[in-house]
Amino acid sequence: MIIQIDQLNKRYQQHQALKEVSLSVKEGSIFGLLGPNGAGKTSLIRILTQITEADTGQILFEGEPLNPSHIYQMGYLPEERGLYKKMTVKDQLLYFAELKGLSNKQAKEKLKYWVDKFDIRSWLNKKVEELSKGMQQKIQFIATVIHEPKLLILDEPFSGFDPINAQLLVDEILLLKSKGTSIIFSTHRMDSVELLCDHIALINQSEKILDGNVRELQQAFKKNLFEVKYTGQTLFNTDWMQVIETKEKDGYTSQLIHIGLHLNPNQFLQQLLQEPIGIVSFQEKLPSMEDIFISAVQQKNLNK
Amino acid sequence: MHKIWLICKREYVSRVMKKSFLLMTLLSPLLIVVFYGIIFYFSFNKDISDAQKTILVNDATGIFENRLESTNSIVFHYKSIELAAAKRELNSKKQYAILSITQQDSVINYQLLSNEQPSLSTLAAIEGKIEKVLKDKHLQGKGIDAGILKELNAISVHIATQKNTQSGIEKGDSGATTIIGFIGAFLIYFFIFLYGVQVMKGVIEEKTNRIVEVIISSVKPFQLMLGKITGIAMVGFTQFSIWVILVGLLSGPVASLVMELANIDASAIANSGKEIGAQSGKLNMLAGFSQINIPLILGLFIFYFIGGYLFYGALFAAVGSAVDNETDTQQFMFPITMPLIFSIAIAQSVINEPGSQLALWLSMIPFSSPIIMMIRLPFGVPTSEILASMACMVAGFLATTWFAGRIYRIGILTYGKKPSYQELVKWLFRKN
Repeated sequence: MIIQIDQLNKRYQQHQALKEVSLSVKEGSIFGLLGPNGAGKTSLIRILTQITEADTGQILFEGEPLNPSHIYQMGYLPEERGLYKKMTVKDQLLYFAELKGLSNKQAKEKLKYWVDKFDIRSWLNKKVEELSKGMQQKIQFIATVIHEPKLLILDEPFSGFDPINAQLLVDEILLLKSKGTSIIFSTHRMDSVELLCDHIALINQSEKILDGNVRELQQAFKKNLFEVKYTGQTLFNTDWMQVIETKEKDGYTSQLIHIGLHLNPNQFLQQLLQEPIGIVSFQEKLPSMEDIFISAVQQKNLNK
Repeated sequence: MHKIWLICKREYVSRVMKKSFLLMTLLSPLLIVVFYGIIFYFSFNKDISDAQKTILVNDATGIFENRLESTNSIVFHYKSIELAAAKRELNSKKQYAILSITQQDSVINYQLLSNEQPSLSTLAAIEGKIEKVLKDKHLQGKGIDAGILKELNAISVHIATQKNTQSGIEKGDSGATTIIGFIGAFLIYFFIFLYGVQVMKGVIEEKTNRIVEVIISSVKPFQLMLGKITGIAMVGFTQFSIWVILVGLLSGPVASLVMELANIDASAIANSGKEIGAQSGKLNMLAGFSQINIPLILGLFIFYFIGGYLFYGALFAAVGSAVDNETDTQQFMFPITMPLIFSIAIAQSVINEPGSQLALWLSMIPFSSPIIMMIRLPFGVPTSEILASMACMVAGFLATTWFAGRIYRIGILTYGKKPSYQELVKWLFRKN
């Protein structure tokens, strides 16, 4: 585990920002910290990056209690981010690298790696204000990872990114992961991380309401829903299935069907094959992170 | 420490490398020297700048005939003319003005007819000459002869001041002390304002650029603040040193250029000095400078220069952190700039009474001490008071830095609403 958080509490005057939050992040994995705006994600991240301190609770970084030297092992891309507009790209990146504990020589070596990788040699002596928004985003990302952190913390990383740069960011994140970097990904746009994250934690109103492996959670929260696309006669409710939604287009019928718990997908498919229809596609509909979040919040409220 | 150094270096390099810095640094001394050159040119060159004024005295009383004393700037001629003729004279621009003196019974009337309203100084000069003639005439009427009168007019008094100190009696000069003290105080005032505001702008810039959270995930807010304040102080020192050196280098050539242009040689300056009657005063002032303990004043100047800047710099940083943009700073700037402006405003009364209770206390309180102490110093301040004031300065600097650091750490991460004073106080005591 690169990060273990145990019963973290944080209070700002009138507002409880975090309440008994515990979670852990596995080495080399991508961890999604999901929740609506104001749920407490940024408070948690600011405690991790030691910008603020928790009131109570413990954080271990690679098994050691969190201390200032760990800052050098972290790369942090805050939601509110920016660069010095009047500084050249080169000076800026070297400055950030040195602030993260690299010597001037090391910083220059790392800079060379990223310059070659993104092919930005011609930008080096330009001031940041002369660059386009997309270019600035690349520089910002390099500034975050130039010191090769073990843990990368990205707060709403895609906000303000155009689709091309967003894809580039995803590629880089996956590449860093393959090299063993652990990544914490915080966002309120839950759909954006389903494919990227290995683990997630859902945070709502200062509390963690759910965490776990993305596939396992989807299995746990699935509602036996299937999407079936076919030609022929439209199906109606039977004792073993219930039609939730029907769409017809270009001679095809698409239906969202809920099946009884006594059926597994194979049995359902067999039943369907006996009907006078031609099946075009058949797919189990797994819940999205947003669906899971809503169910989890509802469950939590019911338990109260 | 290393991080403060990195931040300090960035602040320094990014400012010093700016074109505007180079321009300001190189042009300002030139402007200062040229500015003083022009003042110098006009003050020693009145004869050329103000054309000599010829005044025709139309004296019906006969008292003033050939008695009004002509100077370099005003020359009197005597002629009895009619009004019409006088107008012709004026229209032909041969004369500056026509002074008509008439007497009705025992009352003498004076009237000056000219093409333009004469300046107050010209008028005062003429009135002075007339009064002198009348006084001389009166004294002569009382039986005082011309010889004694000449002796009377030659009387001129200059008080030499002396100071009783532990090491004996020193010659003093309040002209020199006033000037030295005031220059020192003004430089400190200027420095605090100029660079304090730069600190504030720098902090606001980091906030509006949204860069601050990126930075403080690597360094503590306090380190960022200290690095910024020291970095900008170095910029100030660099600029000041270059200014002093350039002004020193430039003033020689500019002075000789001005002299050549004005066609005056050094003896002319000496003469004109004599004429104003200030030559002896000037010499005394120069002697006065040598009587002042220069190393002490210079040392303390540097101390208060740095101390005052650090004291106020931290406060300016706190203001910058509390707001989102420069227009919001007004409300918080006011209580900071007030004591500074007050100190400079009250400087005159401190010069008049450098030993007063007011001066004593103002030179202890760190809000005003950098300025007021500089003014008091040349007059001589007991060592115990200097040490107490320095201790207050250091304590004050530590206090404002702590205070500013507490506000700063919260302020830089707070966007949106401008905080109230009440909220600022809450920030002070909020846990991190």
